[in-house]
This record gives sequence, structure tokens and C-alpha cells, in this order.
Amino acid sequence: MKVLIRTDSLSKYYGKGGEIKAVDELDLEVYEGETFGLLGPNGAGKTTTVRLLNGIIKPTSGTATVNGYDILKEETEVKRVTGLLAESPGLYEKLSAYEFLEFMGALYDVPSDILPERIDDLLKLFDLDERHDYLLEGYSRGMKQKVLIAAALIHDPPILFFDEPTSMLDPRAALMVKDLIKGLADSAGKTIFICSHILPLVEELCDRIGIINQGRLIALGTIDEIIAQTETKTLEEAFIAITGGTVEKELLAWREQRVADS
Amino acid sequence: MPTPKWLVVARNEYRIQTSRIRRIRPYFPYLVIGLLAVYVLFIAPRFVSFFIDDFLALLLSHVAIAMMQIILFLVFIYFMIIPITDTLREEQTGQLEIFLAAPIKPSDVLLGEFLGQIPFYAIFITIITGLFTAVLKPLGLNIVQTAMIIIIFVVTTLSALWIGTVIAAILRTKLGKTARGRDIGRALTMIIALPLVAFVYAIMYGGLLEALADLGTRGLVKAILDLLPSTWGAEVIVGFASNPGDIGAVGFETLTWFGGLVAFFVVAMWLGGKAANRAYSLEPTTFAASRAKPDGTFYKTIKYLGGGGSFGTLLVSIFKDYSRRLENLTNITYMLGILALMNIFIVPKSTGPDDPPWGLMMVQFMFPIIVVMVIGEVTVRGKDSLFIYRKTPSGVGRFVKAMLVKSWLMVVPIAAAVTAVIIILNPQDTFISLLIYTGLMTLFVGANVAFVLGLFLLNPAFSEKSVKLWINIMIAMFVSIGLFAVSLFVLMIGRSEPISGIVYVQLVQTPLSWLVGIVFLSLGKRNLSRIE
Repeated sequence: MKVLIRTDSLSKYYGKGGEIKAVDELDLEVYEGETFGLLGPNGAGKTTTVRLLNGIIKPTSGTATVNGYDILKEETEVKRVTGLLAESPGLYEKLSAYEFLEFMGALYDVPSDILPERIDDLLKLFDLDERHDYLLEGYSRGMKQKVLIAAALIHDPPILFFDEPTSMLDPRAALMVKDLIKGLADSAGKTIFICSHILPLVEELCDRIGIINQGRLIALGTIDEIIAQTETKTLEEAFIAITGGTVEKELLAWREQRVADS
Repeated sequence: MPTPKWLVVARNEYRIQTSRIRRIRPYFPYLVIGLLAVYVLFIAPRFVSFFIDDFLALLLSHVAIAMMQIILFLVFIYFMIIPITDTLREEQTGQLEIFLAAPIKPSDVLLGEFLGQIPFYAIFITIITGLFTAVLKPLGLNIVQTAMIIIIFVVTTLSALWIGTVIAAILRTKLGKTARGRDIGRALTMIIALPLVAFVYAIMYGGLLEALADLGTRGLVKAILDLLPSTWGAEVIVGFASNPGDIGAVGFETLTWFGGLVAFFVVAMWLGGKAANRAYSLEPTTFAASRAKPDGTFYKTIKYLGGGGSFGTLLVSIFKDYSRRLENLTNITYMLGILALMNIFIVPKSTGPDDPPWGLMMVQFMFPIIVVMVIGEVTVRGKDSLFIYRKTPSGVGRFVKAMLVKSWLMVVPIAAAVTAVIIILNPQDTFISLLIYTGLMTLFVGANVAFVLGLFLLNPAFSEKSVKLWINIMIAMFVSIGLFAVSLFVLMIGRSEPISGIVYVQLVQTPLSWLVGIVFLSLGKRNLSRIE
């Protein structure tokens, strides 16, 4: 299988002497057409990885290739072959959905003779065509997320990055976004890279996952492989086992003590 | 061939700016250009000639020439500050991520944002330029000289806007990444204008113009101003004024100034583009989050003043939430700065024992605004915090009480200190008058706190952009002025003129303020339980 994303000891350090390791010696391969999930607790380095792979920030050391383009030497080409749904994206609320997509299309050099048709197609695909001229400030969160996914697709990139695509959404909107991503993977043949800490989302959508904690990739494989490696029964248990998250029951001892006293 | 990226960004920026007038957007530029042409060609000249006869117009045009350095300097600084304050107020880095993820150069983003906003700035530039060309018309400038003056105004303002846009972009990327940075950014929006206000006051009331006119003192001021590109443009205009209608008589030096101004603009554009390529980044500058220290003597004292128990804790929490926002503290500093500048430049000095400390009058009318800045917080941070209190037992009452005590503890000492300083600086006043004035002002401001708190609970402004916030500021000011007028009226009863002396006015005004304060506070407290 063709490798579309390859990282080679990719690292990003911050602070004096690089004591904060946001991403540390990351070695990873993502294959063409697969949906890959990068799992990790908050602050694990997921968003930094996505920003590095999209050429938004530069690595401290190491490098990566995206669709064969080096993120250090061919930054512009990397940007052309990727679409990004950021975790907290800034929408232009005073633009309509159509205007926003037109703007994004122009930013990614979509030829002006095909851009209107593509926008219409995307608006229909995401069920936004009837409200295409409404300003985005009046959209619900789910609808805004649809517009942002459409914006990530406007230049028809082979690779899509979704950073926490459902974390801010209600269950109904989250389900809708999940179905959209599934559709993109199944019918459009896109390579999808999802970052999330929402396990059911990753479980349902991803062919393979990587678990990252404190900047280091600590597990990689299919969900079944990771569950087997950790000798657990569910992905949740495997995640806790790998990342070390436990519930300290002693912390609630004060409450039990009070119940006992009463 | 794809559209240039800076044009894409510029078009987008223009669309954002005109989103409210989307229906007339295609005709908007023609409409504005038409209206501005009418203004420049007909309205501005007639406006000037309507108010000013020919002799006065000639005189005024000479004054305008004398003031040209200062005027262009102020225009330059003002236009530079606009994009900075706009950006600091709304520091979002989300949109930056869109650009950084796209194949576009940062300099194109910056240039596009700049060009997209120019049509709106152009309106202001045209209004100012139109007025000036109308004022300078009596000098007899020919068409080439007039055109060059227009170019000078346009280049000066565009240079200032571009420099402001570059500074704003750097600040946005540096400050927008952390909560502390955003707080600093908002804090700067107000305080950044203070030096400009000081300069305007120095010109209007502080004798800066006289200093420029005086050959003995002008050297230093002129040397400073000469460093600025706005002065280079002013030199050209002054050169034209000396040789009206004769472009050939203008010396080489004058035209060098013009060339220098244009060169400055070109170099500023080039350097700005370079700076943008370095400025735009989403790299965090620091991972150090702000941390709360254990309560020191100050907060322990506040808690003690609040009774030490749960109410004391509540009071300290409200106090911390307010004072840890740098923006709140700079807003107060800004108003105190304005008050100080007014006292330095505008307020007349007392000439004798019978002459009241005029500075106190200013304090009376300025403090309602400071009180609004302290108390507006009660609703401006949104409804959610109000609902926390609504949920708790006796929460509404305790919240109002805590806000009242917190605001008193903040504003009353400031009012007392300001009053004391004004009295101490007035050699005619005695120690007794210091005590009387400070006591009365303290009581007056205390009443004002109750009134403004009630006002905000009655007419809650749930965001900083809410029109209600400005309405409340206006109400607070007008009620203060109204009570002053009523006090004067009371002191006139049975007399042909009021009993003179600010002490008497305050003696009447303070109980009236308390009456209004108590009524508003009661009504506001009742309304707080009903806000949905």
C-alpha cells in the first residue's frame, strides 16, 4: 500500500532548552485510502502533530512527507494536498456559506470556472444549499461544522485532517459529522487523519489508530491489535492502561468518612 | 491564471466589512465615490465659505498652514492607532489558522487585509482632505498644488494605516495565543490612546502651538517633529503656501520632502511585508499559565472586611475576578489619566479663598464613568455568572451586597485620594476643607456606586458591544449632571442666585444621590430575580 503520510523522528519542543516536548520523535506511516485516528488525552500533542503535518508550524527536528512532499522543503505543495478542519477554527461569521467557500476556494487556487459548480455541489452534499446565502453567524454549531468540512474539501485534497471534529457538537450534530466522515472515506476514497479523545468516534471510523501521550507515540495498530497488546476488553480500557489514567478512589475518602460518621 | 492571493484576501475583507449592506454591495463603491465627490467639490467649500468670510478664510488658511505639522502628525498617529485598537479588541487566532494552512504567503494576507479595509478608511481620508483643501483654497493654490496636497494626505494616512496594520498583525499573533496575552491586548486598547489625548490637550490648552511659534523654544519640538514623515508632507504644503499658484517656484528642498514621504511609504510597505512573513505564526510563545498565589495581606483584609465567613470568601472571589483582568485596571487608569490631563490643561486654577477647587467639579462628572467601568462587570461577562447566584440560597441578595461592597472598596478610596490630591495642590485650602471635601466626595461616590449598580441590574448589558452599555454610561452621566442642576436649583429657592460654594452643592447633592441610589438599587435587585 502506498504511504501518504510518513513522519521521521518528527519532534516539536518548546520552552528553554526544549523541556516541553509537544511531539517527541514521532515515527508514523499512514496509508492511502485509510482512516487513521490519533488518540490521546488533552495536551498529548495531537493538534501539534496536525499543525506540523499541515505546514502550519515547523518541527524542532525530524521531518515528514505528506503525499510525497517534504513538510520543510515543499510546504506550499503540502498545503495544496491537504484539507484541514481545525479544532477551534475561525469562521468569518459575516460571510454567507457560499461566500466563505468561494473565499476558501480562491485561497487554494481552485480555477474560477469550476469553483461555482463545486461550491453548489458541496452545499447540496451537506444539505446547505437552501441556506447558502445566510450569514454564518446565524448557523448552528453543527451547520458551521458542515461548512468547515466543505471548506476543507473545496480544493478536493487527497488527504483530510480532522482535529477533534465532534468535540464541540451535540449528539445529533456529532452523528451527522461522523456519517459525513464515513461517507468521505468510503465513497470518495480520501485518506483521513482524525485526532480525537472521543473513543467511540475513533472506534467506529478508524482502520488503524495511534495513541500519543506526552508527545510520544506509545501504541500503534488496529483497534483489535491494541486491545490484544494491552490484554484488555475494550478500547477504553486499553487507552486507560496505556496512558495511565486511573480514578483515585482515595480522593473521595472524605465523603465515605462523612457517611460513616453520620 | 489564478487570482492573486492578496486580492482574494482583500475581496474577502471587503465582503466582511460590507456584510450589513449586502444588498447594495455592488453599487456601494459608486454611491460612496459619488457622495464624496459631491462633498469635496461642493459641500466642503460651501461649508467653509458659509461659516467664514473671505478675510477670515484667508486668516484660517494661514493658521492651518502654521498648524500643518501638528495636524498631519495627529492624523498620522490616529490612523496608526485605529487598526491596532481594532485588532486588540478582537484577538482571534482561529482565522489565522485558515491562512497558515493554505498555500498563501503571510505578506499576501497582510496586504490583502490592508487593501480590503482601505475603502472605508478612504471615506475618512477624503472627508479630512476635502475639508483641508477647502480651507486652503483662499491661498490661491493651483490645481497641481492642490492635487499634491491631496496626495500628501493620502500617502501620510496610508503609511500610518499600513504601519498600524503591521503592528496589529504582530500583536495579534503574539498576544492572541494565550489568555494572559489576550487580556494584555484588551488592556492596551484603552491605554494606547492616552498619549494621543495628552498631545491634543497639550496643543489645545498647553501652549504647544505657542512653543512652535516661539523661535526660542521651537527648536526641540521641531527637531522631534522633523523626524516624522507627517512633517515632511507638512513642509511641502507650507512650501506651496509660500508660493501659491507657482509650482516652479517651490524649491528643491520642498520637493525632496515630498519624495521622502513617498519613499517612506514604499519602504514601509516593503518592510511591513517582510515583517509579516516573520510575524505570522501559531507557535506558542510560552506554556507558562498564570497561577494564583496564596492570598496575601490585601485579600485577607478584604475577607476580614467582608466579615471573614462565607460572605468574605464571596467578596474576595468577586474582587479577584475583577482585579485579575488587566483590562479592568487599565480602564480605570485611563479615566484617571484623562482626569489628570483635564486638571493639568483645562481646569482653571483657583485664584483665592473664595474661588472653589474647580478640579472637584471635574471629579464629580468623571467619576460616574469610572463607577460604570467598575460596576458594568456585573452583567457584561454574561448571564451565566448571574444564574450561579440565582441558583444558590439567598444568592441574589448576597450577590448584590458583595458587588456593592466590592465596588465601594475599589472606587471610594480612589475618589478620596483624587479629591485629597486636588485639595492639597490648591494652596488656598485648609486641612479642615480637605477633610470636608474628601468626606463629601466619598459619600457622593458611594451613592453613585449604589445607583450605577441598580442601573445595570435594571438595564443589563450582557456584552461589551451591547448598546445598553453605552446607554447606561449616558444615563449615569446625565443623572449626575441632573442632580447637580437640581442641587443648584434647591440652593436658589428664595434667592435670586444660588448660595455659592461647592460644599453647599455637595451637601444637597449627596443626600439626593443616595435617595436615587437606594431606589435604583432596590428596583435593580428585584429585576435581577426576573432576568431570563
